[in-house]
Amino acid sequence: MAAAANGPRRPPLHRPSQGSASASRRCGGPGAALPLPSAAAGAAMASYTKAAQQWATFARAWYLLDAKMQPPGKIAAATVMRLEGRHKPIYHALSDCGDHVVIINTRHIAFSGNKWEQKVYSSHTGYPGGFKQVTATQLHLKDPTAIVKLTVYRMLPKNLQRRTMMQRLHLFPDDVIPEDIQNNLLQEIPQPRVVPRRLDEYTPEEIAAFPKVWIPPKDFRRR
Amino acid sequence: MVLLSAPRWLRSRLTDRFWRVQEVLKYARHFRGRKNRCYSLAIRSVRRAFVKSTKARREKKRFLRALWITRIEAASLEHGLKYPSFISNLLKSQVELNRKMIADLAIYEPKTFKSLAALAQRRRQEGFLAALGDGKEPEGIFSRIVHHC
Repeated sequence: MAAAANGPRRPPLHRPSQGSASASRRCGGPGAALPLPSAAAGAAMASYTKAAQQWATFARAWYLLDAKMQPPGKIAAATVMRLEGRHKPIYHALSDCGDHVVIINTRHIAFSGNKWEQKVYSSHTGYPGGFKQVTATQLHLKDPTAIVKLTVYRMLPKNLQRRTMMQRLHLFPDDVIPEDIQNNLLQEIPQPRVVPRRLDEYTPEEIAAFPKVWIPPKDFRRR
Repeated sequence: MVLLSAPRWLRSRLTDRFWRVQEVLKYARHFRGRKNRCYSLAIRSVRRAFVKSTKARREKKRFLRALWITRIEAASLEHGLKYPSFISNLLKSQVELNRKMIADLAIYEPKTFKSLAALAQRRRQEGFLAALGDGKEPEGIFSRIVHHC
């Protein structure tokens, strides 16, 4: 739905049916004591060698996420799940099973409330008197991908794999994606927030058909 | 002099020191630094390693259960269910599988897991109908409790 609403620039990506992605997952995590694959595995599995099956199970996928009119926290929650690999039943912290995530339209993220004015991002250059505090607006104007990048970085687990996972995150402020990344994309992650329609996106017929609480008389005048 | 020195020549001396040292060093070969070569340093590190290993056997059970839960959550989200509702509805349907088996099924038997997820989803719907349905709908099928005698 989100892909079609974005217009002709981005063709909709293939969405594999539920559960078919898990059909290729037949091999376990690293060295964990998992049972041997059952002999009653489907006929499709019999034509693959074990090496090919392992390769397909642990292959890295590329996901797309459109951040238009989305809160950066929910965007980050969805990406962190994919970057860590927690969306796979073969997850293990040490088995490096995370995927790539490409986030587009980071320029158009939407903070709720007054966070654009109130949220403060602090940093220190290391030199005396180098404590800098900028509001979310100022940071966003300076670098449109910085807010999403910082949110994802702070949501990832604080271990040595965080930097590797950040390298698998690709942020783009607008709809424009490089050709090679676009060819890699597999599936689009659904947007976490349902974007409400603006008043000018409703047709006049829908506005007229919408139920009214009360109809003011013709000579009604507010004081 | 000969009478005094004979017992000295015949005293018992340690002959298998090499193997006693190797018994300890074999557990330290993958350590870092001199403690993988030098016995005095190695014996201390190996003792600590054994103590940590003993204490970690209790942590391992917690860690593995958390891992199984993460894997089940991932697999059930693929089928549109969240982990708490999946597990609670499976228990309500009297499916007494533990998390280890469900996690292994999720990896090696995806179709079986899909049917488990469908069962949990159906039981969930029956629970909603029973709670909200004013009693006019028939009782659910998977909500029936089977008593094994």
